[in-house]
Amino acid sequence: MASDWGSRVDRGGRVAAEGATIVGDHPSGARAAGERSPLSLASALAGGLSGVVVVVALALVFGLTSPYFLTPDNAFNILRQMSVIGVVGIGATLVILIGGIDLSVGSVALLTGGFTGTLILNYGVNPWLAIVAGLAAAAFVGLVNGTLVELLQISPVIVTLGTLIVVRGIGQAILWLNNSWVYVEDPLFAYIAAERWFFLPVSAALMFILYLIVSMVMTQTSFGRAVYAIGNNQRAAVLCGLPVNRVKVLVYMLGGLFAGIGGLLVAARTGVVNPTAGLGLEFQVITAVVLGGTSLRDGIGRVEKTLVGTAILAMVLNYLTIRGVPDTWQTSVTGLMILAAVVLDRLLRRTREG
Amino acid sequence: MHGKTRVASNQSLTVPPALEMRGISKRFPGVVALDRVDFSVRGGEIHSLIGQNGAGKSTLMNILSGVYPPDEGQILIDGKAVTIGHPREALRRGIGTVYQELSLLPNLSVADNIFLGREAGNGFVIDERVIVDRARAVLDLLGETAIDVTARARNLPLAQQQIVEIAKVLSHEPRILILDEPTAPLAAEETRRLFAILHELKTRGLAIIFISHRFQEIVAHCDRGTILRNGRLVLTLPLAGVTEEELAERMIGQQVEGCYRTEDQTRPDSAEVLLEVNGLSVGDRVHDVSFALRRGEIIGVTGLLGAGQNELARALFGIAPKAAGTIRRRGREVRIGSPAEAIDQGICLLTEHRKQEGLFPDLSVKENMTLPSLGVFRRGGVFLDNGRERDAVRRFIDALHIVVRSAGSRVRTLSGGNQQKVILARWLMRDLEVLIFIEPTRGIDVGAKAEIYGDLVRLAGEGKGIIVVSTELPEILGLSDRILVMHGGRLARVVEREAATEEGLLATIQGGHADGV
Repeated sequence: MASDWGSRVDRGGRVAAEGATIVGDHPSGARAAGERSPLSLASALAGGLSGVVVVVALALVFGLTSPYFLTPDNAFNILRQMSVIGVVGIGATLVILIGGIDLSVGSVALLTGGFTGTLILNYGVNPWLAIVAGLAAAAFVGLVNGTLVELLQISPVIVTLGTLIVVRGIGQAILWLNNSWVYVEDPLFAYIAAERWFFLPVSAALMFILYLIVSMVMTQTSFGRAVYAIGNNQRAAVLCGLPVNRVKVLVYMLGGLFAGIGGLLVAARTGVVNPTAGLGLEFQVITAVVLGGTSLRDGIGRVEKTLVGTAILAMVLNYLTIRGVPDTWQTSVTGLMILAAVVLDRLLRRTREG
Repeated sequence: MHGKTRVASNQSLTVPPALEMRGISKRFPGVVALDRVDFSVRGGEIHSLIGQNGAGKSTLMNILSGVYPPDEGQILIDGKAVTIGHPREALRRGIGTVYQELSLLPNLSVADNIFLGREAGNGFVIDERVIVDRARAVLDLLGETAIDVTARARNLPLAQQQIVEIAKVLSHEPRILILDEPTAPLAAEETRRLFAILHELKTRGLAIIFISHRFQEIVAHCDRGTILRNGRLVLTLPLAGVTEEELAERMIGQQVEGCYRTEDQTRPDSAEVLLEVNGLSVGDRVHDVSFALRRGEIIGVTGLLGAGQNELARALFGIAPKAAGTIRRRGREVRIGSPAEAIDQGICLLTEHRKQEGLFPDLSVKENMTLPSLGVFRRGGVFLDNGRERDAVRRFIDALHIVVRSAGSRVRTLSGGNQQKVILARWLMRDLEVLIFIEPTRGIDVGAKAEIYGDLVRLAGEGKGIIVVSTELPEILGLSDRILVMHGGRLARVVEREAATEEGLLATIQGGHADGV
């Protein structure tokens, strides 16, 4: 197969090379109008570099104004806090890249944690098997989301708002089997909560590993290319013969899967799954994605950027906590950050398109 | 109105024209759409704006109706310089445009459509009766007493919708009326009625700008014409006594002959049939079309806008639903229900909507080119071999003379011609046998056009089968071995290259009759 394809391309190349002699001079060859890219400075700044600069600047400002902020203990706190949002943010970035949105991630986190925990606690299922079952349930919710959005062409906001409510209900029903609380005391979960890999909490290390893998998939595989192509121009992707529906449904399944992993990390960190687990997670995650600089349209962005956005969000929330700002205000601050990020996104879009 | 009385009192030399556009230039990335064009229209005349697709007609009218500003030049209305920053401003200055696409809201009544956004009433409650009466009055002025103003727009036949569209614009009481191909969807009788209305408006002093590809209508009904070619003014002339042929000649002018096919490049008749279409119908747009495409052959398909040629091409690529008929590839009947299936059958399509249907503007040249061929560049099953991918992209950039800073440049930053070549390279890389192009050089400057023609000829020489759908006659005449002329969704005539003449084709395109040249 591969060699067959290879020869086709070679043939195409040779075909074209012969052509070069026929075409000879090309009158408009020198025309390079439009080569000046309007996106050069502004988006480069906003994209890669500036995110890291903001993280460092925030760390400095917060460190100077709070003696506790830059201590190792607090750094670990921030990393743990980051790991849930960060991991769920991987799937959310992909969903946003294809022009969708997934509001159900918090409920999926609850469902996965509750389901996996109950299997272990009530039925004595092997924890690895229980984890696989929990993640399968998470991916199934993604499958439902993707199918409704793609095949029936319903707005993803409405679909995932529906599954947000339905899945939270199912998750809570599972928790009711155990009087609303599932204690996850399995050694595997305790290990994730307590141990460190490469000087990092296990959950944070897992997050970094997942980012590495997905980042490679996005840039080095046909699947990643298809996601970007669909996000940038879905119609053209269809006309290129891409299986657009299949890719989009798969992306929603990945959104569910990563939300499920997030749910397991919550269960591991707190040792318990309660009915409020994952509540409001969707907004934190979307904030992290947008803060990172992934565009809500046009399929422009990268998963790594979401890591930066997650760091910014986690640092701000952590700082507010250690400065004693009540939770209620933290919600508003998250809201303000998402609004600021969306406004920034729109302004950048304008610069990009001139 | 004033214009006319003054003209009558023989002061026309001192009275400024209703509209004057002076030295208008407009550049888009990679293309000079208008180059210092002068254009003026008097009150009480029907003035035809003539030119091929891409000559700059739409750009000029878009500037006039405030869609975008000119880069250079002046617009004067009744001798006073004005700026038109927004379509609403154009309307306020008395410039009304009837667009080619109907803009009626299908579920609103005729009256509501006409007065959309300007509802009578006390600000909260719309006074439906006042609107109905006023709509009635506007339509009466047009002599259209048969239209029920309370009917929903979607229940009207197309021709009446067109009249309502005109009524909608007239309700703003414009002094300058722009009509962009208003007759394209109309039958002969409806066209006649439309012109009766235009003549009536003309006697009331309106300055009417009329755009059409039908020369017959132009010479029969217009007072003067302004011809544009490649963004430049050719001339403005009174149309009394001018023949259709003269007009066509002026419009087409000198061509880039050198890059077209020469006689010895034509295909042998015995070549293998790559694609055979039998009795193909597409919705109600294409009826019973049959033809065969041989290896090494270029077939040109032409017709008036909306004659079905685009839908024919789209059906062959699986994006317009085929209603009846068969498609055979190298003798075997195939099912083509989606672009993926078409590509599997070795067929690709480059549509006229490069931006909407072809490009990924924010992805790189490389990513744009290799997307359908990624299977080739896989290394060990999963990951892509970047080096091999980049090499292939570079080969095509060189071979097609794509002017680009690097393979990593975003396609958005390329000129139209180079963007088209990137899409061409995309399909050449996939090495498909049947290449279908709809308007391959629309919006592309002359130099890049010549290169693309050269590429097409070369590809045919290498054994591809090529279908070029175009409304540009010189392009069709210069490239094709055989020309299919569509009219009203049917194949009106098939002309061999040796027998084809500009005038003969024009006659068939416009009249649809299959006889005589």
